[in-house]
Formats: sequence, structure tokens, C-alpha cells
Amino acid sequence: MAGAASALFLLDIKGRVLVWRDYRGDVSAAQAERFFTKLIEKEGDPQSQDPVVYDNGVTYMFIQHSNVYLMTATRQNCNAASLLFFLHRVVDVFKHYFEELEEESLRDNFVVVYELLDEIMDFGYPQYTEAKILSEFIKTDAYRMEVTQRPPMAVTNAVSWRSEGINYKKNEVFLDVVESVNILVNSNGQIIRSDVVGALKMRTYLSGMPECKLGLNDRVLLEAQGRATKGKAIDLEDIKFHQCVRLARFENDRTISFIPPDGSFDLMTYRLSTQVKPLIWVEAQVEKHSRSRVEIMVKARSQFKERSTATNVEIMVPVPADASSPNVRTSMGSAAYAPENDALLWKIRSFPGGKEYMLRAEFTLPSITDEEATQERKAPIRVKFEIPYFTVSGIQVRYLKIIEKSGYQALPWVRYITMAGEYELRLI
Amino acid sequence: MAPPAQSQRSPSPSQPSGKSEVSDLKLQLRQLAGSRAPGVDDSKRELFKKVISYMTIGIDVSSLFGEMVMCSATSDIVLKKMCYLYVGNYAKVNPDLALLTINFLQRDCRDEDPMIRGLALRSLCSLRVANLVEYLVGPLGSGLKDNNSYVRMVAVMGVLKLYHISASTCIDADFPSILKHLMLHDSDTQVVANCLSALQEIWSAEASTSEEASREREALISKPVIYYLLNRIKEFSEWAQCLVLELVTKYVPSDSSEIFDIMNLLEDRLQHANGAVVLATIRVFLQLTLSMTDVHQQVYERIKAPLLTLVSSGSPEQSYAVLSHLHLLVMRAPYVFSSDYKHFYCQYNEPSYVKRLKLEMLTAVANESNTYEIVTELCEYAANVDIPIARESIRAVGKIALQQYDVNAIVDRLLQFLEMEKDYVTAEALVLVKDLLRKYPQWSHDCIAVVGNISSKNVQEPKAKAALIWMLGEYSQDMQDAPYVLESLVENWDEEHSAEVRLHLLTAVMKCFFKRPPETQSALGAALAGGIADFHQDVHDRALFYYRILRYNVSVAERVVNPPKQAVSVFADTQSSEIKDRIFDEFNSLSVLYQKPSYMFTDKEHRGPLEFADELGNLSIGEAANNVVPTQMVEENDKDLLLTTSEKEETKGSRNNGSAYTVPYDGSSTSVFASQAQIESAVSNPTLAGHSPQASFAIDDLLGLGIPATPAVPSPPQLKLNTKAALDPSTFQQKWRQLPVALSQEISVNPQGVAALTAPQALLRHMQSHSIHCIASGGQSPNFKFFFFAQKFEESSNYLVECVINTSSAKAQVKIKADDQNTSQDFSTLFESALSKFGTS
Repeated sequence: MAGAASALFLLDIKGRVLVWRDYRGDVSAAQAERFFTKLIEKEGDPQSQDPVVYDNGVTYMFIQHSNVYLMTATRQNCNAASLLFFLHRVVDVFKHYFEELEEESLRDNFVVVYELLDEIMDFGYPQYTEAKILSEFIKTDAYRMEVTQRPPMAVTNAVSWRSEGINYKKNEVFLDVVESVNILVNSNGQIIRSDVVGALKMRTYLSGMPECKLGLNDRVLLEAQGRATKGKAIDLEDIKFHQCVRLARFENDRTISFIPPDGSFDLMTYRLSTQVKPLIWVEAQVEKHSRSRVEIMVKARSQFKERSTATNVEIMVPVPADASSPNVRTSMGSAAYAPENDALLWKIRSFPGGKEYMLRAEFTLPSITDEEATQERKAPIRVKFEIPYFTVSGIQVRYLKIIEKSGYQALPWVRYITMAGEYELRLI
Repeated sequence: MAPPAQSQRSPSPSQPSGKSEVSDLKLQLRQLAGSRAPGVDDSKRELFKKVISYMTIGIDVSSLFGEMVMCSATSDIVLKKMCYLYVGNYAKVNPDLALLTINFLQRDCRDEDPMIRGLALRSLCSLRVANLVEYLVGPLGSGLKDNNSYVRMVAVMGVLKLYHISASTCIDADFPSILKHLMLHDSDTQVVANCLSALQEIWSAEASTSEEASREREALISKPVIYYLLNRIKEFSEWAQCLVLELVTKYVPSDSSEIFDIMNLLEDRLQHANGAVVLATIRVFLQLTLSMTDVHQQVYERIKAPLLTLVSSGSPEQSYAVLSHLHLLVMRAPYVFSSDYKHFYCQYNEPSYVKRLKLEMLTAVANESNTYEIVTELCEYAANVDIPIARESIRAVGKIALQQYDVNAIVDRLLQFLEMEKDYVTAEALVLVKDLLRKYPQWSHDCIAVVGNISSKNVQEPKAKAALIWMLGEYSQDMQDAPYVLESLVENWDEEHSAEVRLHLLTAVMKCFFKRPPETQSALGAALAGGIADFHQDVHDRALFYYRILRYNVSVAERVVNPPKQAVSVFADTQSSEIKDRIFDEFNSLSVLYQKPSYMFTDKEHRGPLEFADELGNLSIGEAANNVVPTQMVEENDKDLLLTTSEKEETKGSRNNGSAYTVPYDGSSTSVFASQAQIESAVSNPTLAGHSPQASFAIDDLLGLGIPATPAVPSPPQLKLNTKAALDPSTFQQKWRQLPVALSQEISVNPQGVAALTAPQALLRHMQSHSIHCIASGGQSPNFKFFFFAQKFEESSNYLVECVINTSSAKAQVKIKADDQNTSQDFSTLFESALSKFGTS
């Protein structure tokens, strides 16, 4: 990474320094705090503020996580993207240690926080950011008494993401194939954007140094290779692997072989930009009767095979901000008015394929409106759902072999799920 | 962590005031210091923890220094860590006390536990107390040789820290060469990576004073080192991979097969899960293929998918950083992403900084085939609740309209905006309609009909008001009530706060007067009276000027104020292509996010290792198309060539201005636009010429005052040049840095020459026939840049030339440096004559 960070700050929601680590001694906490508190005061809504800001020779880059800001300061022309990625990684590390990263957890653990800040960066250059590795030599209080601390084993290993001597009584692997569907539909009901982001998420609880081999269905692999296949063509674009996967092997014979890190990680991610039929289609009609009453009719249709079922479906329908006294009827599920979001939230626990459900709602509107404030909200209808045992891409795990020299039998568990990502229909 | 910072804040009532608690702690620590009782470590731990948290919330606990050091005699690693932390924090403000700690830190550096050795060494090096450096050398030396890689890794960084405290101590102890050895031989990749960071910093800083250091710096990007690192790249941590990739961009492969080898090797890095690695790899690919146009295009195709994935997955901050890079690439190759425009549609929940960039992307990728969809999408945003974004969207529609040939549909959309009757929408749309009319006067009929219906009372924003007034003046013959609207505006002269609006009002009333004299006469009188009495200097001057020119001769006044205009074909781009190239060279850094090169926002001492890339790797020999310029040169250029003062302000301003077009019209802007309309602006705003050298050249040209278009070919001077001159690039660079500019001038290039200059190569061959050799060249139409050199016949006296040719203005900016200053004039004449023959022979 070109250029080094000068300091790393953890700030509270008002922009005051909670903890900071000075790496190079050329940016002071007072300076950073003064700048940052001014910045968030001025903006009011920090969400609209660019995450990279320049002030008086110093560049500040920050991200927010719950009620904490993480910020780096630098005087050099740093690799901006890297540092932002790095900050997110720091969040992961803290979350690993404290369950949740928030002001309280930092206040309770100053010492560990300092220790971590010391190891993740040295003199402004990122060092170890793998929570698993760090936790080998930085322990929280609970473990501290029992285990003697050693420098990270991984350092001397060829496998930097896994250390030796891991032991489980029961050896298990969980593999989740998760695909999230992003869709954008405009007010004419046309799909203007649709793509699917997929991930093979693994959680491994395996002893020793296990060799894993994953076999996917041929079609997916052949396509990844760029060969034409028969049948429904789905292009997996931009496949990415976790650093543990031996890419050379994949290039040669299409096997995904790897020594997994301990715990959870994303083995492989991919993107699918082929336009797919929206899995759940929503239509809405709004009728305004004079200025006293508004009637909303929503139709939701599942457009997948009958053998699959969507669960936890939530349809968020925007309603005028000044609407009141809702009167709602649904043919399935329950609907509740959520005035804090100016929306009607329609929940359907279970939504089988090929079905259509209706919602009809009526709201009263105030007869007098403030002329100035009639700023029409143009919020889209947003949909959330999960469809288990189903993938849009058709990706399938053929086998997952685990070989360890001690010869134990490991249990692989595979699960498929498709869910809504950014699923927006601008229909109202 | 630093108490000086925190202690400025007055402790709130809820926090302990500190005083009594601190003395309490002191007492307790003292009691424990000598104790060997079982369980004492636990109680120490509690106390230490208290000290650390007091320190963190800003209570000054430096008075405990002695007690803390006394208690540090322990084998408990947690206690040690806390103690190091405390010491590191207060050592700098208490250098005398720091001396106390040296002893136990040095002892810990020899501890049997590698963890303690490493931590102690890190603390020792982080004290940052100059008079203690002598104690660092020993522990660092043994740390570098430690058999545990954790200690070595810490020690390497320690060397760098030492260098920053005392460079001479570091160099004298010969640490850099030990680091070099470690970099090439250590088994642990984090040690290697840290060596690389440290050496880059040290050699770059030393290079300005030491020949040897600059050689060492070059050795870092030599083939063996690069290959060694590339072969191990998969072992490195993701951040270290970024570091290595960064270094590889500075490497100049000897031939194309080497380029392909490197790219094949790195191909799979594009699939890395960490976006930082992907971006770094992309940079390598782009830099390596700069001189291979076809491959470069393929690279764009290849990197498209990973980039788009990075945009749409991950955090908004990530999207923001990646979109900034995409934007830069799109400016260079708009067609590559033109079919992926849907990726840049805004999501409802995205933060506005992402939305803003996406709007810029949509503007940049719009072309004949996708404009309709993009504009439809943008119109959706115009009704957005988020007003800034709505405004940006309307502006984006306008920008697209100005880029396109077929604006039919867009004009309709813009006119619909005007009818939406939201103040901010109307305001933005008015400004756009005005620009549109200047480019496409044929639409005036449709536009005027709609604009005529807008009541000037509903328009408050200065920019919009100025636009409306401009249209009233310009199209007063088509707008029935133009004189009366203007008259009512003039009546409220005193209530108009914006000088810009008043300036426009003056000009508009003048124009209207020429077209419909009887109706406007009284308004004109009132406007001139108001203007002459105005407290604003520019308004006053303009009013007085109009008044006098009217008195002198009305028809002359009309020729000056309202000459027949040609449509503006291209609005001036605010950012020169050179600046853009320079940002591109700093791909994957803050430059891209700020849309300005690093020297504009970093201090000299903080430029870091990046700078050395520019000086070194990229000034390649001969015809390799490479438009990189050493920092210093660009800086020099900036003063006279690249940016006019006003443009500099533009780039400093909001980021959308950076890449956007400013639309100059009448007197409100100082950019250049090549049309006759210029006379109007130039004459009506006399302050303009002073602001912008480029503008004044252009005006001089138009007025026939400038440099003659085809200068007489000067007679060849007496100077003879060596036909077989030779100079290696590094000597060139060095000389260029050392020598002062002997001559700097602007030369016109004849039209044949401009026509022949389709690629830099043509000129190179021509100049070579005049014994002037090219060492580096680059650029794309219309801007080409060359570095030439020549040598005096039978003497080793060199001439160095930087020549920037702009084919659209047919001008060459030439800077000459010479070993022998006395003959530089002769050489300049020779150079000019050679250049002037280009294309004619």
C-alpha cells in the first residue's frame, strides 16, 4: 500500500476520540477531533458526507459502525480504497473480539483495543488483520489465565490463514450457498436492473490441517471456463475465491481445493447479471379520493416453481406521510402500519410458488395540508424474502471431501438459500 | 491516547476529577511494587487497567511514571503490555523519565519469550525520543537477526521508526543493507513486506542527497527483485500483496512477452476477495499496457466485471472508492462501460455521496444508444426527496444534452422540468436551457415559449436568475414582454444582491435595446444609472463602459455588445488532459478520489514512495507512448500552462466541478471558448483578460494582435548539432532537475504540421533528421508532449527540451534547458526552425 496512515481513531457518535493510536506522530488527536466534530455538526446528516475528506494537509477517511466512527488520518497520498477496506476489516476484528462493536464495548476493553491497534498496523502499514490469527496472541480476559501466549504460529506457516493445533471433538463443516437478488423496477413496471450476487459461505469446525475438495455441478464450472454449454445459459461472472483456494488447481482441472481457515469465511463469491424473472412480483395501485382518503391495492405474485416456498416475506409499501387511521385487509399474512417509516409493512410467513395474494388498505388523509410541506415522497416498494433449497443460478454442490492426516470423518452440511438483496419496485 | 490532546477538554462533572484518584493509585502501586506475594499480579493488573483507562479518558497520569516503571518488573505479559502502552504514551512528554524505562525495555528485548521480545522492541522504537536513539541500535540489530519472525517483523518496522527519529544513526548502523538482505531471503512474507515498505521510504528520502540511495531505490524495481516478489506473491498477506503490486507498477518490462508473463501471473489476483488487491492488480495491468493500445483495450474489458462487482457489493464506502476509479477509467474509455450503465442506477437507500458519483458515471457513459434510458432514469431522480441529488440529476441531464448529437428528446424533458413548478427544479433547468440554447440555437423557438411563461418572481437563485435574464436579452425579439420584464427587474435594482445578476441585467437591457429601442429606452437609462452608481466595481465599470460606448456610437456599441454569434460547439473542459493523465498515473490513491494530482494536496515531505514512481519508472525511452512527467516538471508547468487561476479554484472546489464542464458565457467565467461570441465577453468584461493567459491569447488572435499564424522561418543559425548524440534517460532526468530553464516560449506550429501530427512518432522522425532526439513522448490528440535532447557538435554540451504541442490551438509550449546557457538562444532558433518545417517536407 502506497503511503502510510498516520493514526487510527475510534470516535463516538459526536466525533469525540474514544481511543486512538498514533502511528507516525504527524497528526494529533486534538486536530483530528476538532476537524471531525465540526464536520459532523455541520452536516447534520453524516450519511451525506463523503467518507474521504481533506483538511489542512490531512486526509481523513472514516466509516461508521453502530455508534462508533473508525477513522484514519494520513498526510500522504495513500491508497484510499485499501484504507477503507482496511477500516472495514478492523470492524470485523473488533466484532470478533467484542461480539458487537459499539462505544460501550470499546470503553469496557480499552486494554485489548490498544493491543489490537498495535498489532493490526505498525507505523501506518497494515499488518495482521485476520481475527483468527490475532486471537492467538491477543486474548480477552476470559481466556487470559489459561493459555500461554505465543506469537502467531501462522507467521511461520505457508498457510497464513490457519494455525496448527486446532482441535474439535466433533468435526463439522457447514456450507451455505447464498444468492441475493437485486432488482430495480421502474414506474412503468419494466425491470431496469437485475442481478444476483452469490456466495459460498463456509463455517468450518475441523481439527488439524484438513484438505478440502469441493465439487460443483459441471455446468457452472464449464461456464466459468468460458465454454459454451447446452440448455439454459447462465453466466457466472467474476468468480472470486478466498485466498485459501489454490487458483492454479482451479485453472487446470476445475477442482476447488483448499485448506480452510478456522471458523466462518466466504469461500467463493460470484455475480450473475443475466436478467432473471423477478421471483416475487408486486403490483400496486393507489387511488386518492379527493383529499380525504387514499386507497392502496397491492398484488404480490410468486413467480417460481410450486415446489419452492418463500419464507419471511416482507413487503414495505410507502404511504403518504400524513396518512392516518389505517384500515387494512389481506388475503394472506398480516399487515401493520409503520408510521415511523411512512410505510405499510405486509408480512407473509410462507409464500409458496405460483400463488398470488392481495392487500387492500385505506387511509384517511387530513383535509387541510400545509402547502409548503407537500414534498412528495418517492420511496419505492421494497421486498424482503428468503427461498430455501433454491438457487437462481442453478449452482449445486456435488461433493465436499475433507481429508486430514489423522483420518477423522467430518460431516459436511450443505444448504441453499436465495434471498432478496436490494429489491426495489418504484411503483407508487 | 495522547494526553495533551485529551486534557484540553475540561473533565465533565460525571468524570472523576483525577487528582485524588491518581494519588490513591500512586500509593497502591507503591505498595505492590516490591511485593512478591502470590496473586500480586492480579491486583497489579487491576490497578494498571485503571491507569490505562484514566489515561484514555484524558486524565493526566504521568505523575505515576516512576511507580509504573517500578511495577514493571514482572513476567506477566499482560502487565507488560499495559506498561509498554503507558510508557509509550508519556515518554515523549517526559524524556527524562523515559530514560528510566530504557533499562527494562532493553532487558525485555532479550527475554526468552519471543512475544515479549517483539513487544519490548516495538515499544522501545516507538518512544520517539531523540536523545535515546543510541539505545536502539543494539536491540534492533539483534532483533533483525532474531530467529522468531514476529520479532524480525517488529524490528524491521523499528528500523524505519529509527530512521524517522534519526536518519544518520540508521544509515550509519548500516540497517538498510540488512533490510535488503532480509527482504530477499527471509522466509516470512510479513518480514519481507515490512522490509519493502521500510526500504521504499528510506531510499526515497535519501535519494535526493545520495547517489547511492537513488541507485538502491532503482534496484528495488529491478528485474530480479520484482520477479522474486512476484513469484512469492501468493504467500503474502492481502495488504502486503497490495504493496508488492504497487511496486510492480513502477517496473518497466523489457519487452511485450515479459508484460504478458507478468499479467498471466497476476491474472488470478483479479479474483481475490479483497477489493484492495483487485484494484492494485488493475493498476498494474493498466500501467503495463499503456504503450500497447490493443492490449490496453482488452484490459479494460477484462477489468470491467471485477470493478462492477466491487461497486455493487460491499459497503457504501467501498462503492465510493471504486466508483471514483471507475469514473477515471470511463473518462478515458467511455465506450467500455456504455453497455453497463444500469449498474450505475441509484438505489433508494444509498448515501448521497455514492449517488452523486453514480450520476457522474451515468453522464459519462451516455452515448447514442443508451441516452434515452439514462435520461428517463435521471428524470425519476429529479422528483427525489433529496434535493441536492435532484439538482444533480437535472444537471446531469443537461450535461448529457450538451454531449449528444440528438437532443430532441432531452430538450422536451428539460422543458418538462420547467413546468414542474418546484423552485429548485426550475432554477436548475433554466441554467441548462440557457447552455443548451448556446449550443443548439435551433431549439430557441420551443424553449422560449416555455421560458416566457416563467415568472421572474419565482426565480430567486442568482445563477438561474442570470440565465433567465440572459435569455430575455438574447431572445428579446421573440419574447413579447421581454422589455417589460427587464424593466421591472431594473426597477428593483437595489434589491438585487448578486453582482452576477446585475451584470447580466446590464448586458441584457443593452441587447434588448438594440432590438426594440423604443420599448427599452427607459429601462436602459435606469439600468445604466443604477449600474454607474453601483458599489460593485465590475458592475460600475461595465455600466460606465456601456454608457460611453453608446455615447460614442450606437452601432459600434451594438457590434460590441450584441454581435452575431455562432453556436458554441464545444464547451471548455476545466481539467487539462495532462492533469487527467497525471491522476491516472496515481491510480489507486487519494488523487483519484480528489480528482487532482497528489502534489496539490500533500506537503513535500509527505509525498512518500509514490513520487519515486513518477520520476523513475515511467520516463521510458523513445517511442513508448508514455505521458508521464516527473513531478517537478508538472509543477512548473502548472504555473504557466496547465491551469489558469480560475480553473485552479474550480478543481479545488466541489468534486463535481472537477470533471464537469463549466459553461462559460458572457462575463461570468474566464474559460476559453472558441467562437465569435468571445468578443462580446472579452470586451464586455475587461477584467477577463488579466485572469486568463489562454483567453488573452485567443483574443489576441481574434483581434489579429497575436503571434502571426505562420511565422517567418528564421535563418539557420551557426550552431551545429551532433547527429549521433546519445543520452540515457536517467542522466536526462538528472540534468532536467538540475538545470534552470534557459528559455521558455510559445511557438506556432504550421497547419501542415498539425495535420501530420496524428501520432507522436511522426514528429520524432522529423526532429531526428534535424539531430534533435526524443527521449520520451506521449499524449493523445490534441495534447502531445515530448522531451527532446540534442548535443553540440564535437562538444558534450547538452540541450534539453520539453515541448507540449496542442494541435487544436496549433501552439507549442517549449522549455529549453542547456548546459551552456550562452548558446541556448541559438539552439532555440534551430529548434523552432526544425519544428516549423514539420509537415512541409
